[in-house]
Amino acid sequence: MKQFATILKFELKYFFKNKVFIGITVFLVVLIAAVMFFPRLVTVVEGDESDTGIELSSRPIMFVKTDPAQADPVKEIFSASFPDYDVYMTDDGTDEIENAVLHGVAECAFILKDDTSFTYYVNNLSLYDMNAQIASEALSRVYQMNAMINGGISAQDAAGIINIQIDGETVSLGKSQFQNFFYTYIMIFALYMVILLYGQMVATNVATEKSSRAMELLITSAKPTSMMFGKVLASCLAGLIQLIAIFGSALLFYNLNKAYWGENIIIESIFNIPPELLIYMLVFFILGFLIYAFMYGAVGSTASKLEDINTSVMPITMLFIIAFFVVIMSMSSGEIDNIIMKVCSFIPFTSPMSMFTRIAMSTVPWYEIAISIAILILSTVGIGVLSAKIYRTGVLMYGTTPTVKNIIKAVWKS
Amino acid sequence: MYLELKNIEKSFGEKKVLTGVSFRAEGGKAFGLLGRNGAGKTTSIRILMNVLPANSGEVLIDGKPIDYKETKIGYLPEERGLYPKKIIIDQLIYFAELKGMSRKSAVQSIDYWLVRLGMTEYRNKRLDTLSKGNQQKIQLITALAHDPDIVILDEPFSGLDPVNAMLLKDVVKKQIAQGKIVLFSSHQMSYIEEFCDSIAILNKGVVVLHGDLHQIKRDYPRDRLVVRTQTPEEVRADFKDACTIAEDGSLMIRLSSPEEKKSVMTRLTENYDIDEVKVFEPSLNDIFVEYAGDATKEA
Repeated sequence: MKQFATILKFELKYFFKNKVFIGITVFLVVLIAAVMFFPRLVTVVEGDESDTGIELSSRPIMFVKTDPAQADPVKEIFSASFPDYDVYMTDDGTDEIENAVLHGVAECAFILKDDTSFTYYVNNLSLYDMNAQIASEALSRVYQMNAMINGGISAQDAAGIINIQIDGETVSLGKSQFQNFFYTYIMIFALYMVILLYGQMVATNVATEKSSRAMELLITSAKPTSMMFGKVLASCLAGLIQLIAIFGSALLFYNLNKAYWGENIIIESIFNIPPELLIYMLVFFILGFLIYAFMYGAVGSTASKLEDINTSVMPITMLFIIAFFVVIMSMSSGEIDNIIMKVCSFIPFTSPMSMFTRIAMSTVPWYEIAISIAILILSTVGIGVLSAKIYRTGVLMYGTTPTVKNIIKAVWKS
Repeated sequence: MYLELKNIEKSFGEKKVLTGVSFRAEGGKAFGLLGRNGAGKTTSIRILMNVLPANSGEVLIDGKPIDYKETKIGYLPEERGLYPKKIIIDQLIYFAELKGMSRKSAVQSIDYWLVRLGMTEYRNKRLDTLSKGNQQKIQLITALAHDPDIVILDEPFSGLDPVNAMLLKDVVKKQIAQGKIVLFSSHQMSYIEEFCDSIAILNKGVVVLHGDLHQIKRDYPRDRLVVRTQTPEEVRADFKDACTIAEDGSLMIRLSSPEEKKSVMTRLTENYDIDEVKVFEPSLNDIFVEYAGDATKEA
């Protein structure tokens, strides 16, 4: 136990003396500070501008050309349908309108041939450009209104029928995926980054000790289990401290600037994480980190050269990336509780991300959570002990990288 | 205090590495573990240090199974290496703490050894800024700082200049004088001959020779004479096939039996101009080649 503490302390010191580790942490904290203080700075700058009395319309311009007889209702309906645009009616020819769009005088333009057909002109068509759909909806409303007026309904009544407002309200009894999406995404991504980066670090660390032959002395001075657990827990702690520093500073800076962020739904949802979810995050982070770090450490011990590390860790990294993508795909498909996710949330290598996502974005019965965590704890301890055995065998094998069969054989015998 | 390995057997998969290895090393004396590359020395040391489990056999201290918590072992591995990028004092303290020392006594002891080996100026430097010989001295501290009962030195003199070799000799002699068990493994026979009272020679995982070095030399068949003479040609003509020329130019006469010694000596001194005639005593090198080298032994 004393040995374990010594190793933990030594390895942890390595992180806090590592300039890259400190550098990255400080850089991220500064970056977050910059983002969080941004609205405040913008308000200060904008405040100055409003004093000068100049107010420029920042909205893009849209040209619309139609039969002059229809100009008024069309303008009215297009203005209502495109609240983000300044809509101007024009009589220019097609070439002039094309030129105006091409040279940025207008962002886009509609030329209406009759009641039921139009051409949409835009310079670069964005992936999310919905203007054509909106325009056809608007145009069909113009058509409906004209039809109603022709049928004897007064223009006012027709407008009332067309523009009727429907009030709808959604009550989510479970969880709102929209609200949870962002913080779940951020947490899963943090989990992904930290495990990949630190896992590789553990593997490299072990392989370095082996290739520098410090291992010869280490293995005769300390128990392999102490070595493995000391190393892995030290990197887990370092990762945790880094995450806490980054998320903690984000939370602090957000609260300092809360007033300036106003009603930004995304930002608000990120910082309104329920406390019990943070605890789940911590549990799954620690267990997920440990189970992967143990595997990375064991693989690191079987490599005889530092250059071999990248190829040796590939299967683990692949497994982890697949687990990550299953979660991300399920999150963006909106079907969190699909069958793959349900299975994955009980497999120890995938459950840290899958189960956590399910808890965050859907309603999971408590016993499923308990079973998943129990399986994960047992497997983590099992993998830990196994990896210490592989480590003990692996570190004394030099020369060619041993095959999986050889390792299993050697571990079985020891 | 004495250390004893009894009937150690070890195989890696199908390959048998150690077969019934037994030897005994006494406290206050140096013991030489010899053998060619791949003979099983390092494996024996690893089993003795509990890094590898033996298939069967025992490691005993004073006749009782060794308790690794009680018996402290210091080890200078043949493959040298510490953390190249770390500060020397940091890693020395780390290794001493791993061996169970408190931080305070670790620092005390390490500072003593840094002074003793003339390495104080490097205390707060990174290891990779040191020359190979100096790195080796640092590594020696990891083997000695925790005041071990058993000191295992694998090729301790390789890479050291004569001054440092002398320094190390003094250190080792003091360790022996303190009553510790000092176990040497080396290919440099002159050092083994200088230090070791007893030896064991391993050949392909089998102890082929074990015992007190002086006794081994004395028990060696006394059936050869070394002759230095002014008239080697005449002597060679006289003794024909029994007489060969040794590496240093002297003559070696093989006797048909040790009892023949007196008559042959008389015959030589009475008939030829002899500067020196003596019974051949093998050097450790000769013994090693004979026992560890397969070709020689079969011949």
